Amino acid sequence: MNRLLRDLLVALALGGLLALLPAALRELFGRSAVSYLTLATNALLLGVLALSWDMLARTGQLSLAHAAFTGVGAYSAAVLLRFAEVPVWLGIPLGGVLAALLALVLGAATLRLYGIYFAIATLAFTEVLRTVVQKLPAHIAGGAPGINVPPLFRPTFVAGQMERWEVAFLRNQGYFWVYLGLLVLAVAISIALQRSRLRSAFTAIRTNEEVAGVMGVNPARTKLVAFAVSSFVAGLLGAVEAHRLGSVSPDGSFAVHTTVLALVTPIFGGLYTTVGPILGAGVLAALEETLKRTFSEGYLIGYGIVLVASILFMPRGLVGLLTGIGRRLTGRGSRGAGATTGTLDGTPLPSGDPPSASTEAKP
Amino acid sequence: MKRIVIVLTAALLSLGLAQGVTIGVLAPLTGGAAGTGQALKAGVDLALAEINAAGGVLGQPLAIVLEDTKADAATGVAAFEKLMTEDGVEFIGGGYSSGVTLALVEPFRTFQPVVLWTGGAVSGIGIDGFDGIEELLGQEDWFFHVHPWDYQNTEASTAFQAYTGVQTVALLHEDSAFGGPGAVGAQALLEEAGMEVLLREAFKSTLSGGTGDFRAAISKAAATGAEMLYWIGYDSDVVPLTSQVRELGYRPQYIFGAPPGWPSEFDAAPEAQCVTGLIGFLPNMPNPEAKQFLDAYVAMHNSQPDNYFAAIGYAMLWAYADAINAAGSTDQAAVIAALEQGTFRSPMGEWGFGPSVQAKHQGFGAEMWNVFQFQNGVRELVWPVERATAPLISCN
Amino acid sequence: MDLSLLPQALVSGVLASGLYALVSVGLALAIGVIGIVNFAHGEFFMVGAFLAYQLFVSFGFDPLLSLLIVAPALAVIGGVIYLSTIRFVLKAPELNQMLLTFGVGIILQNLALVIWGGDPRSIANVPYRSIGYQLGGVSVGMVPLGSFVISVALVAALYWTLARTPLGRAMRAVAQNRVGAGLVGLEVNRVYLVAFALSALLAGMGGVMIAVIQSPTPTVGLAFTLKAFAIVVLAGLGNVRGIVGASLLVAVAESIVATMVPGGDALRNAVFFAIIFLVLIWRSRKVA
Repeated sequence: MNRLLRDLLVALALGGLLALLPAALRELFGRSAVSYLTLATNALLLGVLALSWDMLARTGQLSLAHAAFTGVGAYSAAVLLRFAEVPVWLGIPLGGVLAALLALVLGAATLRLYGIYFAIATLAFTEVLRTVVQKLPAHIAGGAPGINVPPLFRPTFVAGQMERWEVAFLRNQGYFWVYLGLLVLAVAISIALQRSRLRSAFTAIRTNEEVAGVMGVNPARTKLVAFAVSSFVAGLLGAVEAHRLGSVSPDGSFAVHTTVLALVTPIFGGLYTTVGPILGAGVLAALEETLKRTFSEGYLIGYGIVLVASILFMPRGLVGLLTGIGRRLTGRGSRGAGATTGTLDGTPLPSGDPPSASTEAKP
Repeated sequence: MKRIVIVLTAALLSLGLAQGVTIGVLAPLTGGAAGTGQALKAGVDLALAEINAAGGVLGQPLAIVLEDTKADAATGVAAFEKLMTEDGVEFIGGGYSSGVTLALVEPFRTFQPVVLWTGGAVSGIGIDGFDGIEELLGQEDWFFHVHPWDYQNTEASTAFQAYTGVQTVALLHEDSAFGGPGAVGAQALLEEAGMEVLLREAFKSTLSGGTGDFRAAISKAAATGAEMLYWIGYDSDVVPLTSQVRELGYRPQYIFGAPPGWPSEFDAAPEAQCVTGLIGFLPNMPNPEAKQFLDAYVAMHNSQPDNYFAAIGYAMLWAYADAINAAGSTDQAAVIAALEQGTFRSPMGEWGFGPSVQAKHQGFGAEMWNVFQFQNGVRELVWPVERATAPLISCN
Repeated sequence: MDLSLLPQALVSGVLASGLYALVSVGLALAIGVIGIVNFAHGEFFMVGAFLAYQLFVSFGFDPLLSLLIVAPALAVIGGVIYLSTIRFVLKAPELNQMLLTFGVGIILQNLALVIWGGDPRSIANVPYRSIGYQLGGVSVGMVPLGSFVISVALVAALYWTLARTPLGRAMRAVAQNRVGAGLVGLEVNRVYLVAFALSALLAGMGGVMIAVIQSPTPTVGLAFTLKAFAIVVLAGLGNVRGIVGASLLVAVAESIVATMVPGGDALRNAVFFAIIFLVLIWRSRKVA
């Protein structure tokens, strides 16, 4: 409990420090802080998405349904506002709750599916849900064009007292803080999971579900908890993003791209850790923007090359790389954060094991 | 903090000192909509070369900064803000996708630059409870829309179909934000014009997750025996749709579609014969600007301007150049006045801004549209009749 | 409900299963034999489609002729990708394989964007593309029929290869027990290389077919890949024969709903994925 409290305090302190970033950017760069803030917010969003996905992945469940959860969060915020004028401080959490409820239903249905079977089932679920939302009567869910969603922040421009970019700065600062809050919340949940008994339960289920059962872990209940927590965060994210982007639509809110990013980022950063997905999000976002600004054409080729190289040269992600460097520097044998991830963290398995046992359906 | 350092370093490196007037251009250059974005870029590049060859703007060479939106809303917002702050531009052009445009409504209102927007054709008119681009931005002094609204597309399509004299129409449309609302509006207009819509059926476009099998929808259309097959979809749907119509033995008198573009080399396909389409720019349009544009475009890019966004992008940048030169300064009010009053060059002929249903500044309306028909490998302009290069032929 | 369209719906569905099987069979091989979840498989379709397009534009080759060039070309590309990247992650967790192949996919997609641009292309003249035989009120399309025959033949050939040839035995051996196969002296790596190249070759054939029926674009592969993954999983991993049955099930169901339900053609993906979802759930419950 002591360590949990310490970690939470560290996370909170780092979050508080990061909350000063807008002011620092403004001090350093003036008006350019506006676009830097949006880029930083996009990176925070990616971090929340990745961490949310990782929480579920810790149980060995490889979800391809994250677009469904962000989509449901987005749509519930939009629909609630449309019919009940629910205030946003209630609408956004409700988006998370509805996403979590949906995850419980999906999780209960897919409890006995593993590996790629689970992945495809969740992907299929997303595609069906997208169509259902699109085919709902237009006066409810807006049909194909979707629904407008009002912004969370609309700072007023006072002529003579401020410049226009300062209005944009205030708005972006607002969204930055909201996403930072989401990230701190996600980190707190993630740390709480890592420091509770659930962590060993997650790892046990991921490594071998039968053994986990023998150890007294209830796999079904544990997986449902992970599913609900993970999608609660994703739902919150979707709801906030609906406000930021001004609309929800079936193609935009349930995009396969969201699911792919949710999965790619934690692998790149380091699976089954709190730091990894966030680190991955920051580096990937910065990488893409840097490449975009350096090469006018084909910049995504470089992005792809980095992903390929990252797996070849740092199979345990950024976290694995950093802990490796840290070990070498301190000269100690302790394996640090990477060690907790067991054999599924990217360390080559001993040659006695089949490389992808989890792709086979377990009876 | 590492990522911030990287971003900041990159930003500092990209800070260049702009001389003269700079226009910021937003376009989807990667991802699923890259074809349209690249066409827009190609048209803008050509206009830029011509403008600077003709002396530039206010005596200085004109410059553009092009930003990729990936047709993704969050990326589009970051790109727009970069143009407004880091690059310090005062004029914005380009644009594509309603999702990106909706996300830009608030940022646009904040910065209030002059915007010559080529995207976001979803007006919102006729859709209850949904505010489209025209409803949201149409009344802003600084917002100029350089592309027909959805209902203007439908108006032109309906007028053409009435001209053909057909009595019955089968309407197939892709089911997302482009075809869905479009089809509802189209049915109302067609019926108003005295035609009978025997079928209105959605299909899944190849651009939004479909695998190009439209046989079910086409079978149903064939079963109605409608004289006109009217479809609303994307350019990548053209080949499967036209070939499956023939495969299934459906022989309507006319096949008419309104995709944003047509696939390269499709002109020579046997399936193209007698297919008609709505198009903004056609190389063999009778006005001299069309020929000029075509020659210059081919000379610069070594390919044909197949996607009419090339022509739109070209028109957009020239409008900026002419309006700023006419204004004599980059003063926003003066440039807006010059845009409101001026007439500009385009491959489609002279054009200017006027009011539309909800918008103050609408450039190109229903009158921009032409209907062409593939006749023996050539896109002949067949409607409006006064511009026609060949008479319309029936498929039967 | 207009029942007169039912026969056409059935025929269209059965024939459409050919394309589904064609795009799935290579992926089944990659997952089943090598155990690699290849997110770049769709980009192999895309490259195959663009190569067929380019051969037509440059030399006027008919896609059927191009098949003889594109398929081996994809085998080479697949082999190079295997040797340069895939072989290093064979024993890595499947998530690592996914990220790696996703990166390969991004590279291929954006290379295509640079080379061919984003505008949809088309093979202008495919003499058989629009031919349909009208038999008693039902149209049988030559392209769907052709792809149906080709894919059944391919699946049969692959099944026979796996069952009867030394190469096939080696593949099954490594698929079942990677370590054991190594111990009995089989060159596991070479078997994997051949299997992956074969998988890419089959994807290339699917790509040529896609180039015939639609427009090659850098993103043309995605929709087919999602469906191919689902079909492979529905058939059961490693079950090559099951591909035909799984394709038939989803394609016919899709076609019937698309035809018989108003607005149904837009529901194709929903029907397809609903079936996959329900079958997976049902099967997992039955086993337990």
